[in-house]
Amino acid sequence: MLTAGQKKLLVELKSSLAEAVPEGQISESDYAKKGYHLEVRLDKGGLRRVAQTMLDKRFMLETVTAVDFIDSFELVYLYATYYHQYCRVLTRIRIAKDAQPYSVSAIYPAAIWLEREVYDFFGIRFQEHPDLKRIINPDDADYFPLLKNFGKTKFTDQIDDILC
Amino acid sequence: MLNIKTIDDATINQRVYQLNLGPQHPSTHGVMHLLLTLDGEVVVKIEPIIGYSHRGHEKMAENRIYEQYLPNPARMDYLSGMIFNHGYCMAVEKLCGIEVPRRAEYIRVITSELNRIASHFIGTMDYAMGLGAITPFLWGWDDRENILDLLEMISGSRLTYSYGRFGGVRNDITKEFYDGTRKFIDRLRSRFWDYENLINQNVIFIKRSKEVGVISKEDALAFGVTGPTLRGSGVKYDVRKNEPYSAYPEFKFEIPTRKEGDCLARYQVRMAELEQSVNIIEQALDHLPPGPVRAKVPRFVTPPEGDCYVTFESARGAAGFYIVSDGTRVPYRIKVRAPSFSNLFVLTKICPGHFLADIVAIFGSIDVTVPEIDR
Repeated sequence: MLTAGQKKLLVELKSSLAEAVPEGQISESDYAKKGYHLEVRLDKGGLRRVAQTMLDKRFMLETVTAVDFIDSFELVYLYATYYHQYCRVLTRIRIAKDAQPYSVSAIYPAAIWLEREVYDFFGIRFQEHPDLKRIINPDDADYFPLLKNFGKTKFTDQIDDILC
Repeated sequence: MLNIKTIDDATINQRVYQLNLGPQHPSTHGVMHLLLTLDGEVVVKIEPIIGYSHRGHEKMAENRIYEQYLPNPARMDYLSGMIFNHGYCMAVEKLCGIEVPRRAEYIRVITSELNRIASHFIGTMDYAMGLGAITPFLWGWDDRENILDLLEMISGSRLTYSYGRFGGVRNDITKEFYDGTRKFIDRLRSRFWDYENLINQNVIFIKRSKEVGVISKEDALAFGVTGPTLRGSGVKYDVRKNEPYSAYPEFKFEIPTRKEGDCLARYQVRMAELEQSVNIIEQALDHLPPGPVRAKVPRFVTPPEGDCYVTFESARGAAGFYIVSDGTRVPYRIKVRAPSFSNLFVLTKICPGHFLADIVAIFGSIDVTVPEIDR
């Protein structure tokens, strides 16, 4: 159950996010099932405007990740707060495989490493990133390990049949 | 032998030079490489180079079913394996909508807190050893050894536990574990005073950690710092209190904070947290409810399509699992938020301007686990 403070914060957040990104779809989600309160879909861009709004509201950038959906990528930015009642905002953006989204590292320094990790594992090149290079994989690697076409073995397809 | 005639005067006379701290350095407990740019003895720039112990845990998740992934989380952060195991179970339970029996929640809290104490002993005492004090380290490991024995009694392993199961824990706790934990708590309580006397007032220790490596609140927010490192900077944030999970809302405990933000503050926060963890364990043992320790769950879980994010307080900060399911028995994607990853990156902001010797202190006080950063 949401407390009164959380409800107030959510209303405030929604209005300021709607002002910052009018083209985004903002929806409330069930915290008990999803683990986040607010979901912002930004298929037409606005990543940096959302980041600026969240920083003004004193949220921290919890993590950045991507999901490979074969024909497109989904970038996920998670914001959480430690100053108000707990509240978590998830930002999704669907991008094409060869798209180059803008980096939010000018707003959140934390994103420098988090976006480097996304580049390292998915090959998504962020624009205006100060230091986009490999971080965990070797510098001379020519693969992106978390792509769905990497590391697929014969076993992967049959895993369900073998075990169950 | 190097032919010194080939080194020209400009190289000899240069002021700013680079130094590799690690990858094999005793103070970095793990394979961590810090590339330092020094002006004399003062650090101008620091670049942590990570990835030496990358094992691809996130990729492994995409090649096995949810149950098979159970041993992996404990191997990410090997010092607080029980907490990571607990967190992963919570994430899958949230995704599938599984209710956990109360007794199981209590047992999870007890084991997690024992593990947190063990981890904090490494964090604090290893830090003291980094500053040249050997005895506290040996004392801390003595106490930690008792915890490892206790946890081995119920889970069968000493470090990389896979004790949790979806919907509960593997087996109930035994009488020996119950009595042993009580005995351990009494022993630890009597030793707090010794720790206080042994190191906390030591002049060398204080001089080397006071006003060194100050993290301001603003930096902490911008870099996403969490855990004892954040609480040392005066922000009262603990996932166990702010975003309660498991059985934590049922226990009374404080969140120790210090406002200085230096190495000493972080050390003091960890030492104060030991006491709070002991309090939680004691309350949980007092009110341990009867009943089953595992809910009725199908042998193989099949979560519905969708995603969820679960956060929990590991010994190093707010860790989290982001799981995307496509409705099959194999996870589509598991992303782990490693608290050490964000905590380590703040070094690049706070280290410049410090002496080389202080880097060892700052690095130790942040208390990162390298396998967790690399995953």
